[in-house]
Amino acid sequence: MSAAAPALAKTPRQLAVVRLADASEAVAALSFGFGLLLIFFPVWFPQMIVRSWQRGQLMPIMMVFTLLLDTCLYLRVAYLQSAKPRPVAAACLGSLPLLVIGGLSLLLRSAVSHILLLDLPNLQARVGEEILAHTYLGLVSAVFLPFLVIRLLQQFKAANS
Amino acid sequence: MLGWTSLKWLLWISLYVIPVVFLPWAISRTWAHQHGKELHLKPQQMFRRGELGLPSLILASSVIWNLLQSGFTPHTAALGSVIMALSGMMAVTVWVETYCRQASGNDLRPERAWRDSRSLALLVFSMAAVLEILMDRVTRVVSQ
Repeated sequence: MSAAAPALAKTPRQLAVVRLADASEAVAALSFGFGLLLIFFPVWFPQMIVRSWQRGQLMPIMMVFTLLLDTCLYLRVAYLQSAKPRPVAAACLGSLPLLVIGGLSLLLRSAVSHILLLDLPNLQARVGEEILAHTYLGLVSAVFLPFLVIRLLQQFKAANS
Repeated sequence: MLGWTSLKWLLWISLYVIPVVFLPWAISRTWAHQHGKELHLKPQQMFRRGELGLPSLILASSVIWNLLQSGFTPHTAALGSVIMALSGMMAVTVWVETYCRQASGNDLRPERAWRDSRSLALLVFSMAAVLEILMDRVTRVVSQ
């Protein structure tokens, strides 16, 4: 091998390191957007969410949205660090948003059944508010939790190596 | 329609923001004036060790308390509480981690601590604001 060969050889790219701050800013922006929509469209926005839940479209839309947002955030982190995405992180980002939204969908059904069993006045509005709250909490969890898991896995790996 | 009642959560949030950001800044200005020093402290200098994590946790605890007393079902209150608690704990972890790094003489990066604590505090404050709006709405529905 000639002397110039080591210099020409490709240096392996480092793996992307995720910090919670990367996802926090995006979730905060998402929260502010959700809050502003609630303030400026207090009737139309909740009704739109409730209608899409009744048609069975809300959960698939949330799954696609959070999956895309998580992927974009992770790729942005990797791009800014000029680093290679981690396979474990990619697997987490590919599966956790779907699992979280799926789990919360079951929890929402359980909450709606709970309200219907109580037979309280103003039932429809109460169910609407539960759907609205679950939509918001589902969006936040499906973006924040995968990054939290990746961060904890990174720390666990760093402690063991 | 946008009404003043919808914005009362802003007042509630400002009760936390004013003591956390404005009060330390005002006290530092008073101290500098009293001692005749030229001090122009910025928030990133005052909270460079991730101190914003502590008020974030306090705010998260307050929101959890309100959630548990709200008109939401136990499912929703529990879910909201867990997510708020996780965010608050992560915010305070930045402060504790920075303190541990400093105390052990480890690699201390104030700019990273400031960035992390600021982002997580922003997350907790924004979540608290939206959850307060949602609780305000559910209270009105329950009282009808």
